[in-house]
Amino acid sequence: MIGNTIVLKGVTEDFVMHIPDGFLSPAICALMYAIAIGFLVWSWRKVRVTYPRSLAPLLAVSSAFVFAAQMINFPIAYGTSGHLVGGTFLSVLLGPYAAILSMTIVLMMQALFFADGGVFTFGANVFNMAVIAGLSFFLVKLLTKNSKRSSWLFSSIFIASWLSVVLGALACGLQIGFSPVFSDAGGVAVTVPAMLFWHALIGLGEATITTTLVSQLHRLQPMLLNGLAILRGRQGERIP
Amino acid sequence: MRGYLKALIIILFCLAILIPFASEAPDGLERVVEALGIEEHEPTWKGLMPDYTLPTIDNPYISTILAGTFGVLLVLGVAFVVGMAITKPNKQ
Repeated sequence: MIGNTIVLKGVTEDFVMHIPDGFLSPAICALMYAIAIGFLVWSWRKVRVTYPRSLAPLLAVSSAFVFAAQMINFPIAYGTSGHLVGGTFLSVLLGPYAAILSMTIVLMMQALFFADGGVFTFGANVFNMAVIAGLSFFLVKLLTKNSKRSSWLFSSIFIASWLSVVLGALACGLQIGFSPVFSDAGGVAVTVPAMLFWHALIGLGEATITTTLVSQLHRLQPMLLNGLAILRGRQGERIP
Repeated sequence: MRGYLKALIIILFCLAILIPFASEAPDGLERVVEALGIEEHEPTWKGLMPDYTLPTIDNPYISTILAGTFGVLLVLGVAFVVGMAITKPNKQ
């Protein structure tokens, strides 16, 4: 029973980049809300004009998957753990715009029902995890522009998913670093390098899991990878 | 549709198996915050199931599994409704 409790701490004390309330200054919370809402409106409009109705069940199941995956922390190194964020995975599965919405739904349910990530810091969390990860799609697109080889595609996904976690951590480091709670500890000069160091490692886990998931889906159910269809200019045709 | 149902069952099954193996170590942000000696405040909003547990159930595994299953189904439902709302009806 005691062992069980210790083991479950991994699940219960969980906020890889989920910033709790109280860490960010009101000004930063408001700014991040404004930026996040801007991106959400943009994604919402893009999804409206491009996606057929048959996206709905795929959006539902992949969001549920990401929620479940975020509960499982994996050990990294030096007594630190991380979990899959899953944004790059969603963007390959759903395309960047639906991925941003999907991740936002996951973050919203975590904040509302599980107190994982704050309510006031919700805008920052949406930006750090949903928006940046959704936009990592365009890095995959840029890297695979001149190549149709799947090995290069998977390498690009590895790079993009690693970078999505690192850039999210950079944004998080800046947000907490510029907030008064962290100013005594040294501000951004301390928070940014610390966040980058740990998330460069956590990102390797993210990249490995994302690449494995995508390559398996590519082998078993290639029709599901709508993001890839968008990548290759066959938008809206492949949603089953 | 059957494929999606199968995927959902696999997700819940994997969750049930993997929860006991989840790492208990502090994660990225937690680690940084700890190293800087900053205390986490009591959350403003505690949610219904703080820290992915049901407060009324003592067994941590069952408590977390139930909270996790609830969360998976909740996200599934909300994402489906949003998906229906933002996509065009099929032109058939």
